[in-house]
Amino acid sequence: MDTMQTQTQAATAVQTAAQQHNEPSWLINKRLAALDQMADLPMPLVQRFNYRDWDLMPGNLQWADSKRDLAQVADGPVQIVQVGQTTVRVNLPEKLQEQGVVLTDFFTAVKDYPDLVQEAFMTKAMKANENRLASYHTAYLNAGVFLYVPNNVVISEPIDIQLIQDNTLDQPLNSHVLVVAGRNTEVSVSQHLTTVGENANLANCLMEVIADENSHVTVATLDELGRKTLAYVERRAYAADNASVNWAVGFMNEGNTIGNFDTELNGVGSRADAKVIAITDHDQRMGVNTKITNRGKHTNGNILQRGVILEDSELVYNGIGDIIHGAAGSEAEQENRLLMMSSNAHGNANPILLIDENDVMAGHAASVGQVDEQQLYYLMSRGIRRETAERLVIRGFLGAVLSAIPAKAVRSQLVEIIERKLENGR
Amino acid sequence: MATLEIKDLHVEVTDEENQTAKEILKGVNLTMKTGEIHAIMGPNGTGKSTLSQTIMGQPSYHVTQGDILLNGESIVDMPVDERARKGLFLGMQYPAEIQGVTNAEFLRAAVNARRAKDDQISVMDFLKMLDKNLAILDMSEAMTERYLNEGFSGGEKKRNEILQLLMIQPSFALLDEIDSGLDIDALKVVSKGVNAMRGDNFGSMIITHYQRLLNYIVPDVVHIMMGGRIVKTGDASLAKRLEKEGYAGLRDDLDIDVALVDEN
Repeated sequence: MDTMQTQTQAATAVQTAAQQHNEPSWLINKRLAALDQMADLPMPLVQRFNYRDWDLMPGNLQWADSKRDLAQVADGPVQIVQVGQTTVRVNLPEKLQEQGVVLTDFFTAVKDYPDLVQEAFMTKAMKANENRLASYHTAYLNAGVFLYVPNNVVISEPIDIQLIQDNTLDQPLNSHVLVVAGRNTEVSVSQHLTTVGENANLANCLMEVIADENSHVTVATLDELGRKTLAYVERRAYAADNASVNWAVGFMNEGNTIGNFDTELNGVGSRADAKVIAITDHDQRMGVNTKITNRGKHTNGNILQRGVILEDSELVYNGIGDIIHGAAGSEAEQENRLLMMSSNAHGNANPILLIDENDVMAGHAASVGQVDEQQLYYLMSRGIRRETAERLVIRGFLGAVLSAIPAKAVRSQLVEIIERKLENGR
Repeated sequence: MATLEIKDLHVEVTDEENQTAKEILKGVNLTMKTGEIHAIMGPNGTGKSTLSQTIMGQPSYHVTQGDILLNGESIVDMPVDERARKGLFLGMQYPAEIQGVTNAEFLRAAVNARRAKDDQISVMDFLKMLDKNLAILDMSEAMTERYLNEGFSGGEKKRNEILQLLMIQPSFALLDEIDSGLDIDALKVVSKGVNAMRGDNFGSMIITHYQRLLNYIVPDVVHIMMGGRIVKTGDASLAKRLEKEGYAGLRDDLDIDVALVDEN
């Protein structure tokens, strides 16, 4: 059969490339298993968003070096910078090294810390057989970062992960950021995704966060992938007893994008907070699922999403609160709000509550609307020009999420991006 | 000296529900100069707020006849922000609440909107001006870091309107029921703010139901509106007479054929 043959050829190609890359057999086998089941798995479900004609699985695994000078990133105290598959810089202060903190390129980690990586990679926060794109990601993984924080270590400085997709080359970026936070740890991660170059490529960027007992992990992201990048961005977390995971996602990609943000509150008393801001423009299409699953007792999940839709673009926000039977005493709150700035804009704010437990508190709010004319009139009656007044109202609309972003540097960068988008998108 | 002239002003509003137009102002004539305080009094539903909103340029109010001239220039076709930059200010009865924009940030944008791009106010000068005006209004600095009007009490909102007035320094301030919902102490503070603006370069149109406010801000001219027109103009004593006789008494004295909204 043809598909059989293609399948075998693909497997051979992946195996050859992985061996050439000196990968251990467990990883090669994981790739091959993922590849094998790919065709049987469904695509991720993004309700009210149709992306059937998007080519999210270009099939090749190749190794290529990127030019290091493509990374124009200011030096940071705790930082890893990658362009495409090439690691340009790792800054990890000695003190943290002595405490056993690991911050390195994913494949280096596979060699140097095989047990740590094997235990955590696509085992807990997500699995390769969840959907077809997760399998694709596993099979064709070609870049990534590993961050490990040993038990009882508290890191005050935010860890800066800068990933630059190299579109001067002609190849997809399949990047995996794996964060393992041990018991009683505290760590704050900021991730910045950008693109250099003019080629059209896929970016399939995953992040897994494993938050062990009583750990506190904060992730702030600035996603700025380029207009010619078709993006699938998935971020997942697993929270053990009394762990907390806080997400602040600035979803500012310029091309067509799917976002899948999902936190599993497995442990008793674990908490998650997911804040997402997105702005879409031109004829861009963006679909976002933000989900928190309450599995453990007395867990608390909070989703807050705000988006601004400019020009002819489309933005769909699904907020998903899933309370599993047995998660007694849990809370799930969500709010999804969209602001449409043009008559050609399309938006959908869709709260989905799946509750299989009686003893819970759950609530949701959703809205899709236009700029409040009363607010505009008020500002303009003080002499403020319409454009400025609109910007202030939009900033105000996004403010609820913006002000909750803990890292000040990320927050001010995000404000800058927002201002730029609003400036251009009219 | 600046002038504001209202000439034979007729204004309609469109009822959103049944899409019918209703005439509210039926030929208002009025001339104000800077240096003067005019009070507009009148019963409910007589068009006082319509007059102030129309002068400011609220888009729901349509001028069907007549004109509004600011320093001899017609402003009826100007958008609201341009009118503001030309020197008009409206202290609103129901100020909007805007989350995420701090009071200070808004005030600075408003002050700068009236200044040239290369002549924006410095942070130091702005703060100095702000401190001075906060002191006049007995407001705490914390108010300026709060989001614009969000969660403000009725009294705080009114004070905040006057703070904007003091910061923006317009030629003409239209103050629409700035006294409603204020206790006597707040009323004194708000009056103090308006009186601080008094001078040759400032004129104000004060809309109120009650004479009480006019004990604190003594007007030069008092106009009584009924049925969409100004029916009588006089000095401060007119307000006092009104307080005694009520609108119905005045109407009967003047022999005007107008039904009062609150009359049974």
